[in-house]
Amino acid sequence: MRKRMALLAGVLLFVWALSACGTGGGQKSASGGGDSTASGGSSAGAGSSTTTIKLTLFDRFLETDADGSVIAHRQMIEEFKKEHPNVEISEESLQDATYKTKIKALAAGQELPDVFEMIGSDAEMFLNNNLIKPINEFLESDPEWKDGFIPSTLNDFTINGVVTGAPLTMLTTSLVYYNKAIFDEVGIEKFPETWDEFLSAIETLKANGYIPIALGNKDKWVAESCILSALGDRYTGTEWFYNLKNRQGAKFTDQPFVDALAALQELGMAGAFNSDVNSIDNGQHKALYYNKKAAMFIEGDWAISVLAMEAPQDVLENTRLAILPSVNGGAGSPAASSGGAAWSIAINANLEGEKLEMALELVKKLTSPEKARVMAEHNSVAATKTPDYDESKVVPLFKEYLDLSDRIALSPIYDAHLPPAVIETMNNGLQALIIQAITPEQLAQDIQKTFEELT
Amino acid sequence: MEKKLQSPKWTTIYGFLLPGILLYLFIVLVPLAVAVYFSFFKWSGGLNKDFIGLHNYVQLLQDRKFWFSFRNNLIITLLSIVGQLGIAFALAVVLQSRWIRFREFHRTVLFLPVVLPAVVVGFIWNLIYSQHYGILNGLLDSLHLEGWIRPWLDNPKIVIYSVTVPIIWQWIGLYLIIFLAALQNIPEEIYEAAEIDGATGLRKVFSITLPLMYNTLKVAVMLCISGNMKIFDSIYVMTGGGPGISSTVMAQYAYTTSFGQFSFGYGSAISIGMIIISLGLILLSRRLMGGRAFE
Repeated sequence: MRKRMALLAGVLLFVWALSACGTGGGQKSASGGGDSTASGGSSAGAGSSTTTIKLTLFDRFLETDADGSVIAHRQMIEEFKKEHPNVEISEESLQDATYKTKIKALAAGQELPDVFEMIGSDAEMFLNNNLIKPINEFLESDPEWKDGFIPSTLNDFTINGVVTGAPLTMLTTSLVYYNKAIFDEVGIEKFPETWDEFLSAIETLKANGYIPIALGNKDKWVAESCILSALGDRYTGTEWFYNLKNRQGAKFTDQPFVDALAALQELGMAGAFNSDVNSIDNGQHKALYYNKKAAMFIEGDWAISVLAMEAPQDVLENTRLAILPSVNGGAGSPAASSGGAAWSIAINANLEGEKLEMALELVKKLTSPEKARVMAEHNSVAATKTPDYDESKVVPLFKEYLDLSDRIALSPIYDAHLPPAVIETMNNGLQALIIQAITPEQLAQDIQKTFEELT
Repeated sequence: MEKKLQSPKWTTIYGFLLPGILLYLFIVLVPLAVAVYFSFFKWSGGLNKDFIGLHNYVQLLQDRKFWFSFRNNLIITLLSIVGQLGIAFALAVVLQSRWIRFREFHRTVLFLPVVLPAVVVGFIWNLIYSQHYGILNGLLDSLHLEGWIRPWLDNPKIVIYSVTVPIIWQWIGLYLIIFLAALQNIPEEIYEAAEIDGATGLRKVFSITLPLMYNTLKVAVMLCISGNMKIFDSIYVMTGGGPGISSTVMAQYAYTTSFGQFSFGYGSAISIGMIIISLGLILLSRRLMGGRAFE
């Protein structure tokens, strides 16, 4: 009997705790609303020092990652907490693929966090559903902040004149990382400049027992974001892409795009990739490169800082950068690679008053020149213009990247621009394409069909 | 006193049932109803919804990908009925026999995979299948069976079988326990009588054991069908439905449609389609198995 009473008491206590949490939350949000009106009447200083403002922040900056952007992010958050002791940030960081899913699920339930990282392709959907706050007026009222951004990054997040989020990084998603020592060993003197040279280099590497290009496409976005985005542009040219995106006549079934798909399949058929391409991920494909089993891998500039942290010293020293070679008869520039501001930081549309003010402060902190400097010193490029930084801290590879990026133009990253449904079809199709389970023509038709069904 | 015990007040009955019913209502029935509601809309999440009636269902009937993933579910289910139930039955009979040692130990070990989260199972088997470091290819190599080495999760022709093996492996233990319980209910005297009549080994299994646990078998088949129609997690971890869509099952298709493409309306329609198909298959299995009377 006593046991049962104890159990009952326990259950009651639990229920009480739950209900207390519920009302607590309710009160807080109510008082939050009250604050904003109160601070309008009286002086804001007194109000802000006594009440705590709670902000939720969702991002992909996992503490376990070695990326320069993560290190800079952590540092900015720490500083922000010191500068604003009355703001309580509850942050949730998730791994890339998980994050994309979670944000979509939260958006569907209209429970997006106050401040969160947003990929370009989600922006339009979020905006149409009034889930995010346009930041135009905030940018206009703070010219210093606005001028800090590299202008093209803001364009990547402008939809019909509305700026949807503050760009975080300036990415190049398609860079070829190759091991110079391996190239020397098999007798390839310089990185191939034409497609034919590229294919023969692959042949040579294969004959010498190396995996020519390590590719881990299990998460499906790598082949599309890091290879096809750039390869496609070689064939179609950038104009075609915007023409297509704005539905002005261009189609995925147009010959140049089909040619691009065929070229990717050609790589697959030539045995350029490891045979388990669809069951390992991009972390594992870098492992193949570190172990000198593979001579190249293709990924974005974020891999530089990962390499700087993870790669064995000799591999890091021998690593050089290149972009995909030119193709036969393509309409695009051979001196281009896919890039832009793929990710931004967005503000929930429901924020008002002080909470909005603080959220805005946080966003500004996360896109500050100071952050750009920390990122640069850890081999990463922010979406804001980088102030002078300590060059002795960076690896030579990073300087090589900065040189390279000065010489090339940026073409659109497919998954930062196209609707999620199209990307889904494309990503799935590319897995099948590389292992010759589908023809380029068929895949082009599938993607076009998905694209047309969206209207 | 006795009478009172036999028929408690209806308030007592429902009072005790209420917590369970409420839970069930909120985690099963309400979401189900909401899904049915959503399936009539074209909805990409957020505020805007367009009512489009049965259009999603019309689309579903013509959707090649949906029927392809249904085919994958069917393959997994059929292999599981044969693999899980067959192996579990054989093991149960062996474990029940007199000469077996360490009975408890075997039972525990065989049941162990059941309590593993499907995600863990997925990761374990991912490592087993791994092309370069996997134990499976390593084993084949050391046995000089190089010709058998395959990219197990990368070949669209075999991937669906590769992902079925872990599912079978994981759930054998569950059916083993169910079958063991059923076996223990068969009176020893029947076997003794049969032995006096000269029945041995397999004869006893097919003439006594199987008929007497036929009802349990029916339940097991039903569990197996319903379990495999909604299978998702271990496959998602191992291949993510790839390469392409070759190992995509219905639940994964509903998931990617909803959360990959933002088509929540159509995603809901797929889920409802899944329920209808699963119920249909279970009814079919009952009809088929009920038609043969062993008793």
